[in-house]
Amino acid sequence: MKIVPYFKQIIGLFIVAVLFGSFRTDNKNLTIKFHHVLGSQLLILNDSLTNTFNEKIVVTKFKYYISNMVLINEKKESMAISNSYFLIDAFDSASKNITIPFNFKKITGIEFLLGVDSIKNCSGIQTGVLDPMLGMFWTWNSGYIFAKLEGTSTASRVAGHYFTYHIGGYKTGENAARKIKLSVISNSEKNILDIQVDLNKWFASSNDIRISQTPICHSPGVLAIQFADNYANLFSIQQ
Amino acid sequence: MNKSIPIFITLFAILSGIAWIDFSNTPHPVSFKVPKGWPAPVYDFKSNPLTKEGIALGKELFYDGQLSKDGKFSCGSCHQQFGAFATYDHALSHGYNNQQTTRNAPALQNLAWQKTFMADGGINHLDLQPLAPITASNEMAETIENVIRKLKADAHYASLFKAAFGDPLINTQRLGKALSQFMLTLVSANSKYDQVMRGEANFILPEQLGYDIFQKKCVSCHPPPFFTDFNFRNTGLTIDDVLNDFGRMSITNNPKDSLLFKVPSLRNIAITAPYGHDGRFNSLLNVLEHYRKNMVLGPTTDSLIKNRLPLSNFEIGQIRAFLNTLTDSSFLKEPNFAAPGMENTRKAPIHEH
Repeated sequence: MKIVPYFKQIIGLFIVAVLFGSFRTDNKNLTIKFHHVLGSQLLILNDSLTNTFNEKIVVTKFKYYISNMVLINEKKESMAISNSYFLIDAFDSASKNITIPFNFKKITGIEFLLGVDSIKNCSGIQTGVLDPMLGMFWTWNSGYIFAKLEGTSTASRVAGHYFTYHIGGYKTGENAARKIKLSVISNSEKNILDIQVDLNKWFASSNDIRISQTPICHSPGVLAIQFADNYANLFSIQQ
Repeated sequence: MNKSIPIFITLFAILSGIAWIDFSNTPHPVSFKVPKGWPAPVYDFKSNPLTKEGIALGKELFYDGQLSKDGKFSCGSCHQQFGAFATYDHALSHGYNNQQTTRNAPALQNLAWQKTFMADGGINHLDLQPLAPITASNEMAETIENVIRKLKADAHYASLFKAAFGDPLINTQRLGKALSQFMLTLVSANSKYDQVMRGEANFILPEQLGYDIFQKKCVSCHPPPFFTDFNFRNTGLTIDDVLNDFGRMSITNNPKDSLLFKVPSLRNIAITAPYGHDGRFNSLLNVLEHYRKNMVLGPTTDSLIKNRLPLSNFEIGQIRAFLNTLTDSSFLKEPNFAAPGMENTRKAPIHEH
């Protein structure tokens, strides 16, 4: 008999649940796929490739941080994806597809940071993909390595013909994080974005950086900034 | 009314039961005591509140050789309590595989007030600091990944991490936070100097004279209560042609920072010899002789000592008498800072320098 007085509450809860449920149906998942190339060549681990300066290269490592993602819809409304940090590894397929929830009907643009914002560089040890254990952190000069490109090239004049680029820096004047803004032209309301990452831009875009002259960069500063200005141009949407 | 009594009793039993469960599983908060007259700490205690269990875990880790590649080098092997957590009587410290460090191990004290770490200030957070010696190939020579793997394989750490953080997860962040909790407790504020300032003791004449000279000639760079302003300065030290250590410049890439090193604290100075960022000075006499005679003046020499530091023999004697009052023997003997099992064996070494 006591159930009867609660009847209204139960109905009320039911209505609330249905309402929440209906909101939730608007939430979708956007999958962003990163495709790595060097000009017209696919970037394949340990494969012999040729960069834009005709330097023969073998890439053994290519990793970078993507963070602070913002999606933009056809009404120019933006939606910031909070706490979004991703470590993309060109040779780990699981890391190359990232999934983020969104509730826009259509996405017309996407913005993100190549790098890690200064707050995360200054507030102690982080977890997850930002764990310093992953080797994307300088322990002797605190700060994240935003992008790491390593390999060998006959053009390199250092021992072992290595080239090793560890690019980062968050301090004023040394900030190597770059904001990437990409427009999505496609009319379809698709839930997959294909982003091409062309490593030729790493060597030649804002600055020309030849392995023969510059095989190593391991600290924040002027050279890292030149690389950062280049890697700002790595990304394009495959429309 | 009669019916409500059993309900209350039951409620009370349940609530006290919950309180008991909560109490036994939650780490016990420890408040950080700021010595009277000292500024507010720099360390963000909100992001890492001190607890009895967190400090205990930090101490266990600080004295655990597993943090190094061959198990021989714990944090405590180079940061010895009887040397104010510097390496006693060593210019440079020993590291993995018969190697040496490239800088003199600094005393670990009053770290809650420090914004940057290392002689070049390259490290921006206390939690991050241990990662540098752990991963340096000439120090502990280990990878963070291996350290975490070893700690996970060691069953007693599961319960220590659970006690400190509520669950047994072991990761880099918790390693850093626990080590910080222990290191933050290393507060030295009970030297004779402190007791004199609190009105509990009196300087003898040479100490008082030395204090007065110190106030005129040293205090600009070594102000109390920390006896350092935490700035970076070139004190006229020539470059060592093996170490090639340009100090602050290696972090900022700025030529104006060439040969600048962090001003060290003078607390416990009498027992932290040798001195200088590479330990090149064997005694305080060498240091003071350097300031008055041997400084090599260059473009980045600190403006406060650009004409060196005139000091008479008399003044040097009195300054040394004063500096001895900065030794905090209660800090050097504090059982809570000692390695687990070594709590009652602490002895402060005799002043020699």
